[in-house]
Amino acid sequence: MRIINAAAFLRAKIGYSLKRAFLGESVGLRLIKFIILFSSVVTLFFTSLQLYWDYRRDVSLIEKRMAEIEQSYLGSLAGSLWQMDLPQVRLQIEGILRLPDIQSVEVAVLDVGPAVEKHSGKNDVVTVGVSVSSPDIMKKYPIIYNFHGKDKVLGVVAIQASFDAIYQRLQDKVLEILITQGMKTFIVSLFTLFIFSVLVTRHLRTIAEFANQFNLEQPSPPLRLARASIKRGRSGQAAPRDELDQVVSAFNNLCGGLEQTYNQLRSVNAELKADNEARRRAEEEIKRLNIELSGMNSQLEVQVRRRTHALEVSNRELNAFSYSVSHDLRAPLRRIDGFGQILLEDCAHLLGVDGQRYVERIRNGVREMNEMVDSFLKLSRCASIELVIESHNLSDMASDIFSRLREKDPDRQVQITIQPDLVALVDRRMMRSALENLLENAWKYTRHTLSPVISIGSCVKEGKTIYYVRDNGAGFDMAYAERLFSPFYRLHSAEEFEGSGIGLATVQRIIVRHGGAIWVDASMNNGATFFFTLQQN
Amino acid sequence: MSNSTILLVEDNRDDIELAMYALRKNKIPNDIVVARDGVEALDFLFATGVHEGRSEERKPALILLDLNIPRLNGLEVLRRMRDAPETRRIPVVILTTSDDENDIIKGYDFGVNSYIRKPVELSEFTKIINQLGLYWLVLNQSSPR
Repeated sequence: MRIINAAAFLRAKIGYSLKRAFLGESVGLRLIKFIILFSSVVTLFFTSLQLYWDYRRDVSLIEKRMAEIEQSYLGSLAGSLWQMDLPQVRLQIEGILRLPDIQSVEVAVLDVGPAVEKHSGKNDVVTVGVSVSSPDIMKKYPIIYNFHGKDKVLGVVAIQASFDAIYQRLQDKVLEILITQGMKTFIVSLFTLFIFSVLVTRHLRTIAEFANQFNLEQPSPPLRLARASIKRGRSGQAAPRDELDQVVSAFNNLCGGLEQTYNQLRSVNAELKADNEARRRAEEEIKRLNIELSGMNSQLEVQVRRRTHALEVSNRELNAFSYSVSHDLRAPLRRIDGFGQILLEDCAHLLGVDGQRYVERIRNGVREMNEMVDSFLKLSRCASIELVIESHNLSDMASDIFSRLREKDPDRQVQITIQPDLVALVDRRMMRSALENLLENAWKYTRHTLSPVISIGSCVKEGKTIYYVRDNGAGFDMAYAERLFSPFYRLHSAEEFEGSGIGLATVQRIIVRHGGAIWVDASMNNGATFFFTLQQN
Repeated sequence: MSNSTILLVEDNRDDIELAMYALRKNKIPNDIVVARDGVEALDFLFATGVHEGRSEERKPALILLDLNIPRLNGLEVLRRMRDAPETRRIPVVILTTSDDENDIIKGYDFGVNSYIRKPVELSEFTKIINQLGLYWLVLNQSSPR
């Protein structure tokens, strides 16, 4: 069943391949062309060679024949001529003429025997056949008669031979060779075509069809050519692989590779798709979060507004509180002091010495508290007053403050160094207040110093201007430096150095409000240096 | 000069007494009228309300005005009297324990003649009262009535 099918298949395929071979250019046709061409050339070459050999053989055959004629006919010819028997001569040369290829034989008589009439037959020429002027081959032999041991030349025989027969034979042979060779070539070509088609072309087409129908989406089973049974069935083990097997295996490898690559590509694609999906989801999430964030932001804004409002309210309350402190707290102090003074002035006699001293103590307390209220007010104002930032000359400010301090304390001899043109962007009143505090401190804490020196200047560090106020006064232990800027914190007793303990807190607030920082370097009995920075722009 | 009136606008009894003490100490002989709140001060100035029928002679020659007073605060009293033609030119000195900048600025904006922060020490205050009396009642040429 299978064989029939295979045969039918082959027939169909061969018909197809022949059709293709003659209708269009195919490998088979080209192969046939080349075979015919080459076969014709080879045939022609060998035919020519053979014909040449045949020609040579035939020619030599003629020559040999002529040599035989010389040996076998010349004796009897000489005898006949001796007797001048011309008819006999004619008979004899006709016998020669009957030999193959001999065209003509001519006997020229030069001499005759003594028995014959002298000169009677002299110069006779006996010719048979058709003599031509330029024969293919001609041999002349002398006819010698031995008479009593003496050779006598009686005549000359000229034999002409023609190659016509040879040519005819060669021509026939050429025709025969061409026909047989042509037939052979044709049959061999057809057979070659058939074999080539069976062995190669149909497989090539199968491969082409397979390749055409190859679909990566639905991979078919590997390519197998219908050819194995003859070749492989014979021996138990696998036959050696030929080129087609190699092509098929390479093709199958290629397909496998393609499939693998395609699958990889698909999986990569799927991954990419998944990635894209994830990214899209992430983007959605981001969008959602953004919306949430903007919601939160607006919530935050609302909250900030609420807080700001609350802060403003509390600021207002603080201001109101400051006002009430300035007024309501100071007023009763005034009264205490006022009536204390009236007591001292108008009722001293009733109080006695002790009583007067007590009233004095009361008044001192009032004065102190009043100063504290003043400082406290200053401090709280630092926080609430709006800054007017302009360029101001801190050097001028400092020298102004020092001249005021000198006026107040004309007995003090203090060496003062002010770096000229310390210009900064500050709020004039606030900065003046800060400088006042710092310089007053320096002035105050150098009171007990032998040769007091106060200097104010600036230096640049890491692109930032640092201002400093330095004195060689009492100084302090750096262990307490941290609390120095807290309100109401004092390092010295009131007896040593008076003060409310609010000055440096005020300075710090002012500096912070100017976007700067303040710090101190000091040592006990060795002066103090206050450093501060300001916002550059 | 002795018959000219000083209007002291002050709500606290102790403060009034201290002010009177200082005036007394300085032997200022003028008629002193005390208004205990803003409304009463305006009543006296415009001879209305409780002070209806105040004689024209008792119209104050100087007003010592505290700011933190009941009903109508000092600045409001100042603004209203400066709006009225009959009280526009009376010298007003704000005498207060407040040194709040806004108070000072508003005081001058509303046309105060002088802004004095009451010192805590009575002797200082007495000196100031003396200077004020001397300046506004003796040295200063008031606007004609």
